[in-house]
Amino acid sequence: MEFPSQLLYAHDQILLAIMIFVIMLGMGSSLTVDDFKAVARSPRGVFIGFLSQFGLMPLLALGLSILLGLDPAFAIALILIGCLPGGTTSNMFAYFSRGSVALSISMTTASTVVALFMMPILLNLYTVRFTSQISETMRAAGAESDFVIPTGNIISSLVLVLLPVIMGMILRKKSPGWAKTAEDTAGFVAIMVILYLILTAFVRHGGLFLQTPIQVYLATIGIGMAGFFFGYWFSRLLGMYPLFQRAISLETGIQNGPVSFAIILLSFNEPVQSQMLWLAILYSTFIVMTSSVITLYFRKKGKFDWDVYKNTQIHNRLFGREYVTNYPKDFLPQRLKNDPSQGTSPAQKRG
Amino acid sequence: MQKPKNERIAADNLADLYQKAAERFDSLPAFATREKSLKWKPVSFRELYEQGLDLASGLIELGVKARDHVGLFGDNRFEWILTDYAIQFCGAADVPRGRDVSDSEMEYIVGHAGIKVCFVETEVLQNRLLRIKERLPDLQHIIVLDHNARVREGVLKLKDILNTGSSLRNSGDRRVFDRIKGIRPDDLFTLIYTSGTTGRPKGVMLTHENIISQTRNLPGIHNPNDRILSVLPIWHVFERVIEMYTISFGGCTYYSGIQTLGDDMINVEPTFMASAPRLWEKIHEKIIKGVKASHPVRQVLFHIAYFLSKQYRVSEAFLKNKNLQVKKKSWWGSAVLYPFHLVRWLIVLPWFGFFNAAVLERIRLSAGGSLAATISGGGALPIHIDRFFNNVGIPVLEGYGLTETSPVISVRPKLNLIVGTVGPPIRDTDVRIVDLETRKVLFPNKDLPDGGRSMRGEIQVRGPQVMAGYYREEELTRNAFEDGWFRTGDLGMITHNNCLKILGRSKATIVLSSGENVEPEPIEMRLQQSQYIDQCMVVGQDQKSLGVLVVPKQEAFTHNGTPAFSISELAQNSEAKRIIRHEIRRLISASSGFKGYELIRDFRVLDRSFRVGHELTNLFKVKRHVVTEEFSDAIEDLFQNGTKKKI
Repeated sequence: MEFPSQLLYAHDQILLAIMIFVIMLGMGSSLTVDDFKAVARSPRGVFIGFLSQFGLMPLLALGLSILLGLDPAFAIALILIGCLPGGTTSNMFAYFSRGSVALSISMTTASTVVALFMMPILLNLYTVRFTSQISETMRAAGAESDFVIPTGNIISSLVLVLLPVIMGMILRKKSPGWAKTAEDTAGFVAIMVILYLILTAFVRHGGLFLQTPIQVYLATIGIGMAGFFFGYWFSRLLGMYPLFQRAISLETGIQNGPVSFAIILLSFNEPVQSQMLWLAILYSTFIVMTSSVITLYFRKKGKFDWDVYKNTQIHNRLFGREYVTNYPKDFLPQRLKNDPSQGTSPAQKRG
Repeated sequence: MQKPKNERIAADNLADLYQKAAERFDSLPAFATREKSLKWKPVSFRELYEQGLDLASGLIELGVKARDHVGLFGDNRFEWILTDYAIQFCGAADVPRGRDVSDSEMEYIVGHAGIKVCFVETEVLQNRLLRIKERLPDLQHIIVLDHNARVREGVLKLKDILNTGSSLRNSGDRRVFDRIKGIRPDDLFTLIYTSGTTGRPKGVMLTHENIISQTRNLPGIHNPNDRILSVLPIWHVFERVIEMYTISFGGCTYYSGIQTLGDDMINVEPTFMASAPRLWEKIHEKIIKGVKASHPVRQVLFHIAYFLSKQYRVSEAFLKNKNLQVKKKSWWGSAVLYPFHLVRWLIVLPWFGFFNAAVLERIRLSAGGSLAATISGGGALPIHIDRFFNNVGIPVLEGYGLTETSPVISVRPKLNLIVGTVGPPIRDTDVRIVDLETRKVLFPNKDLPDGGRSMRGEIQVRGPQVMAGYYREEELTRNAFEDGWFRTGDLGMITHNNCLKILGRSKATIVLSSGENVEPEPIEMRLQQSQYIDQCMVVGQDQKSLGVLVVPKQEAFTHNGTPAFSISELAQNSEAKRIIRHEIRRLISASSGFKGYELIRDFRVLDRSFRVGHELTNLFKVKRHVVTEEFSDAIEDLFQNGTKKKI
């Protein structure tokens, strides 16, 4: 397949860089030092989330690449997506899906830090078969060196993206009002820019949508959906309660798209760069749609256990930490009855 | 996973409901009292029930008989509901009024209802009642609710009766259970005296079946996870019914107040509440103020979000057939509009989704965020407020009813939210529309096009919630009914998607948004004493204050040196306006015997006089609904600009 190189012009790249900066600044604006401390307070949830994000998700990406027989460049991009940390979008979706926002924030924070060393390791581990394929093609075309994953560059790009996050955190501390604005604007900017990229791609390379193999569409939609599905049941298997299941599910499926843009632009070159970027753009577009649908579904499905959780939480807030809420016998299903944080809030101990 | 449960206890009477709630919900909180913003004191269903039995036993010992009328003057607090429990357990009925009851009302009510035992909330009320006690020979005992009050000699304390009852029950007194068994569905549970500016207060007799039917028929899915904030006065039947309804599904009622409401909404995160238009106006004001004070970027975001939401919801309502349908939809109109709304809906959807989540959710959080629905009653909700909350995504379920219908007749269910209407009648309730002059039934009427939908007339109701009558007022009771249907005195119609729409009053009485009832005739008669005023009509239904429409007397102005060729010319004349303003101020004042809320705040001079056969009957009586309709622009203008300047 003849894939157009130079998917983005120079000024698009600048635009994308600004967008990444704004989004990461917005992400930082929503974080406080307390969020890092909170990770230590709920280590179990964060650990299960970690397993789901860095254990499950890259494997799913690898599986999908092999299953769908993706082009090596696309496959590498998909695995890259699979290894990304979570973004702040997942916190918003966790909120609306009646999941634990606290856990979602903790997972985002923890995964962003852990990604610094987990991403290069995983990427090298899972992309071996695809890099060698590319090397062969390149050597056949007369190139002298092998294609390698630019590990050093990836780490420095990650550090570079983390700078605006830290700036955002400082902003939040100095001026909460501006931080709120930055947070709100970031989400809006992200959507605008993704739309812009899609539209320009459409205008400049009209045939691109048709040229893109169906497998790429399936992969970009499927990776998110698979993340939601396996994240949900994996955490259930490890004994998480619905509220946390929903947060882990969304955190697993929703990755920090802007980070992947930064890494692809800063660390990879043609002939793979445009293809990788295209897959990342497609993923970022579809994930907004699929997570909206999943969120609406979770919201409906989780209404009852959320109401129980909320009501007991408010009882403790207003009547004191020692207050115990006893629902009528047949009111709670067995699963919620045993739940230390749902049928009762953590402080509520049953005799 | 589990679906939300709809818990609702089926009971025969209130005492039965209280008993069953204690069995089913046991240690769950039933009522909570605020001590500090984050410190509330809960009382469980079981505790309330046991204390209620104690108090009832004490009251029986004191001499309260079954079917007695027991006075209960006070505002929302735990002791109020406890006393209500006890009175119901005795098989008696309460006669409630708020702390703001006037001495003369108190005297009339205690005398008319034949009250022998009367509860008062505070020390002040105790003193006021004692001052008029010698004119009330039947009144034997006064009991004070407030534990900290200094009681006078001969006055009892709630606590003492509780203690007496408790020791009686400990020594085997079972009389209270016989009383509970003896309650019949048509026994009164309350006798509510409605205030009127003219004439005496009327005692509305409401039975156990009346209120139990409401807990059975109100729409909604509720269970013990619900939290209800109580702000409206408990002696109004609307708040009372919501509290009883809450008991029936095991929710907890949190006593709030106007001062602490904003704070409490955020801390309690209510899921449901009874509210009044005034409350929503206040919240609306606060939200707008908050938006105006926010960062310019966020203001812009809010306006974008609000605009998108409006587009989205209007199209959604159209597509789901949930728009206001005063006129019948024509098929060709729908054929044109349907694709338009479908396309607009699809285009707006993703944008609305984003802004709804990112911007409007913050606005919703100012009302606690968990508010699934709130029933607004006790006056019409101004349409712009109604639209605002609907667009922001806080479902305000406007309802309609009167004390005489205990009170809910119809309400907009959450899934059938048609802005501009008060929803379809609730279960087991029939509504008909009767022509004001011919007394012909307009709806339901098979002979009329569309069965009589969109025909205007008086709203009449039949159902289990309609009162037994006015206490010791047989003639008034007879006049309140027509062929067994209760006459609401309101003007309305049924829309083409079967919702009730209120159009005004067929009776002259004006109800202000503060809840005061004003009879316009005495004010109008007084105004017509002026040589400059030919005709006039007082307006102000659901407004904060009164206004008046004036037709000037042309000759009088000519004599006075302000000649004009026509009334419409006078309407423009500033000198004429000045004179009329002076006249209104002179005639309607506190010194001429009018109450504060009866004073006229603003007026409009009309450009033509009322015509016989149109605005006037053959007997020259003003047809209020016709004037309201004909001069709707002037009235709207009056209340939009009128709030700024005062006469």
